[in-house]
Amino acid sequence: MPRNPDQRDLFSGALELMILHTVRLTPMHGYALAKHIKHASDELLQIEEGSLYPALQRLLRAGLLDSESGISAKGRPTRIYRLTDAGLRHLEQETSSFEKMFTGITRVLAASRTQEA
Amino acid sequence: MAFWKLFSRRRRYDDLSVSIQEHLAERADELTGEGMSRAEAEQQARREFGNVALVEQHSREAWQWPTVESILADIQFSIRQLLKAPGFTATAVLTLALGIAINATMFSMVSAFLMPHLPGRDPQRVVALSSVNPDGTFQADVYPVSVPNYLQWKKETRLFSAVAATREIGSGGLSTPGETPQAVSIAAVSPDSFDVFGSSPELGRAFNPQEDEAGHDHVLILSHGLWERHFGADPAIVGKTVRLNREDYLVVGVMPADFRLLGFVPDLWIPLTLTSADRAAAARKDRSLHVFARLQPGVTLEQVRARLNVLAQQAQHDDPAVEQGWGASVRSLGDFLVYNFGIGTALSVVMTVVAFVLLIACTNVAGLLLTRAVGRQRELAIRMSLGASRARVARQLLTEGVVLALLGGSVGLLLSWFGIKVLRAGMSFNEAISAVPLRLDHRVLTFVAVISAVSALLSSIAPALKASRATINTDLKNDTRSATSSRSHGRLRAVLVGGQIVLAMFLLAGTGHLIRGVYEFDHQDLGFAHDHLLTAGIALDHARYSGITQQKNFVRDLLFELQQIPGVKQVTIASTLPATWTDEVSIHVRGNDNARANEQQRAGDRVITPEYFNAIGVRMLRGRGFTDGDTANSPPVVVVNQQFVHKYLHDGDALGKQVNLDTAGAPEWRQIVGVAPDVKTYATIALVDPEAYEPYAQVQRPIGSFSLMLRTSVNSDSLSGSLRDTLKRLDPELPLIDVVSMDKVIAKQTAGNPLFCDLLATFALLALLLSAIGIYGLIAYSVTERTHEIGIRMALGASTADVSRMVLRQGFKIAAIGSAIGLLLALPLPRVFGAMFQGLTFRAPEVYPIVLLLTFLVVLVAVLGPAWRASRIDPTTALRIE
Repeated sequence: MPRNPDQRDLFSGALELMILHTVRLTPMHGYALAKHIKHASDELLQIEEGSLYPALQRLLRAGLLDSESGISAKGRPTRIYRLTDAGLRHLEQETSSFEKMFTGITRVLAASRTQEA
Repeated sequence: MAFWKLFSRRRRYDDLSVSIQEHLAERADELTGEGMSRAEAEQQARREFGNVALVEQHSREAWQWPTVESILADIQFSIRQLLKAPGFTATAVLTLALGIAINATMFSMVSAFLMPHLPGRDPQRVVALSSVNPDGTFQADVYPVSVPNYLQWKKETRLFSAVAATREIGSGGLSTPGETPQAVSIAAVSPDSFDVFGSSPELGRAFNPQEDEAGHDHVLILSHGLWERHFGADPAIVGKTVRLNREDYLVVGVMPADFRLLGFVPDLWIPLTLTSADRAAAARKDRSLHVFARLQPGVTLEQVRARLNVLAQQAQHDDPAVEQGWGASVRSLGDFLVYNFGIGTALSVVMTVVAFVLLIACTNVAGLLLTRAVGRQRELAIRMSLGASRARVARQLLTEGVVLALLGGSVGLLLSWFGIKVLRAGMSFNEAISAVPLRLDHRVLTFVAVISAVSALLSSIAPALKASRATINTDLKNDTRSATSSRSHGRLRAVLVGGQIVLAMFLLAGTGHLIRGVYEFDHQDLGFAHDHLLTAGIALDHARYSGITQQKNFVRDLLFELQQIPGVKQVTIASTLPATWTDEVSIHVRGNDNARANEQQRAGDRVITPEYFNAIGVRMLRGRGFTDGDTANSPPVVVVNQQFVHKYLHDGDALGKQVNLDTAGAPEWRQIVGVAPDVKTYATIALVDPEAYEPYAQVQRPIGSFSLMLRTSVNSDSLSGSLRDTLKRLDPELPLIDVVSMDKVIAKQTAGNPLFCDLLATFALLALLLSAIGIYGLIAYSVTERTHEIGIRMALGASTADVSRMVLRQGFKIAAIGSAIGLLLALPLPRVFGAMFQGLTFRAPEVYPIVLLLTFLVVLVAVLGPAWRASRIDPTTALRIE
């Protein structure tokens, strides 16, 4: 699997958060999800299929996602993933805690940079 | 996890595949749109996606009890693999089953004897209080206690909530009108005895506090066993009157079946009455009570020990003549019972041996697994190349070991069920031992589970480590038959097999020493002729034989009547049988005052009639034995043994010396008229204590219980009927206790030894056999491995003899190195055993060449087959195989 050395591992829970956020408005199937995250992040984030499908199964199991039979754009049978009510609650909770975390990290990084200067 | 989820999982997995297939298809479509050919696009899509099977597996694991299910899958896979190789599986399972079965069987003894059943409530709060005998005799630190000391300790209410005493009275006669009286064993206990153990009768009541007083003391409590055996489990037995020793006793209770103490198994209990004479200071000499106490809450053994030491000091101060040097000890009930029973050392030796056998069995299975691992290298390499991690492969192999051990454990459990039955049958020679039930209890089951798990680990850890270190590339490229990758397996196996030989050799040498030592001990000269001797015990009751005169008259009539039986040469009575046990008394030799004033001189004291020495085939070393001329009116005389002369008279001239025996009768000076040769004090330990013999006619104290001995010219057992008839004529209500030959009396004490030896020998041979199988497996396998190489050698001119020699050399090299190490390790064993088993000597250098020869013979047999097969290899076929 080719891997861009500039890319890095995601925070734990980050992939799940992005999946939940992505299917919040439009339920979609696996391939579309992977493509969407890639585009939306301006290709900064590349989702490995090796992580995506296990993550989807974990979310299904936790009841945050639901899946239903659907037909892909090309008319082939596939599974469409959609957010459940529990998923929505979880997403809101997690988003706010992630935002807090990022704010915190950014401040710390900024502070140390000021000290260096 | 809900059950429906388990069932709906199949659908989940299908959905997952659908998603992934669609993912791949869509990506391929995209790539085709970019101008790739369909085939190229599909390949590119797959390459980008990665290992589909692995992603699917990881995704599925989200739904699983993560490890449990993959372990279940491993187990399923292992079972399929094992079923495919039934020969291998059967060998491995049987080997493990044998090892586990003998361990479980022996452990049932450990469970029964070293972790004995403790009756009652909070048994861990119960302790045993004992005297410590300064003479250092057998088990000197759990010596019985005198009444004054018991009463003193009973006052320590800060330490003990209750203190009770037990005196084993021995046998009594339980009579039913019109039937032969039955001898029963009786223990006299203080009334609160059952409270101390926190037990109460299953029927009726325990003793009342005032029932230890004369006039109220004719009450008894039956053991569950006697109640069933003798009274047909009569539910209305309480309140009935039974005749014990010709007196009426009221049955007040029946104890439950689980009220039993290892080594203490009386048929019935009566109250222990303490007369004022018992309580007097003079009674300090008579140490015959077992004392048990229940600790107050929070009191520790240390506190009790400290207080007992203070009390022992005080006693020494109060009565130095009797208490000089004596101490006191406390043990928890369990410790006391195990120690007092004295089976621990032998059991620990047997357990060590069986543990080694199991180790050898595990090594064999490890060897088998290693061989299989070589054959499966390609399979494992393929699995790894498909994405299985090394840990995963190692786990798969470990699982195989676990499945094998589980199977082995189950079969082993079945085998040990039989083993315990056989063992139980082998232990029926002694009531105290057969009274302890051996069974597959929860402890044995737990033990089997633990040793099965250990076996699984031991037998599969080496193959698993080895296999997981395999290198994918070379293993995939290599042909399975090529020797390079299997050479290190061969080396590992050679080390394992060498280790087996070391263990087997060590076990054989050790067992050889033990068997030789025990044999010599069993066949030691006890110092008297024990063939053609019929013995029986008699306990005269107080009702009919209340005084010395009545007792003496009865004995006189009995001896006279028995002498008339055809086939009887001599008849004698003795206070106890030779080589069993004697009373001990303090002695004093006139003129020895300045010897060591503080040292107490003690000797065994046996009361006998004049025919005693003739009956046991012993001739005086010096002086004379007793005659009918030694009467109550003639000067008091005594005969001593050689050890007495050695210890107290410094091997000087004993005849004519004056000795005072501190018996309960009036102390008086007796003249030594004879020196008898030493007779071993016990049949079970090689020990001779100083001993004095008193003539029955001159003894001025009651001798209530004694043994009869008949020297016969015919088979002694054939006269037991006449003996019974004679006694019945004299006194129909008096029971005879244990009418048996002297040989049987000795066998009863030592019969454990042959069993012990048989067990050890069986296990050591099993160890050798397993090692032989191990070495056979190794050599046979290496011959198969080297078929090609041997073919080349033969093509280049090696003769069949050369080839056989080469194979034999390979086997014997391992055997020689293993034996050498094993023998070296076994060298200190005689000294170790000497320290473990008091009174036994282990000097048997002949053991080493014998076991060495045996091992080499067995190795030869094991290696001959493969060597022969190697010599039959046809070079042309062998070379063509490639």
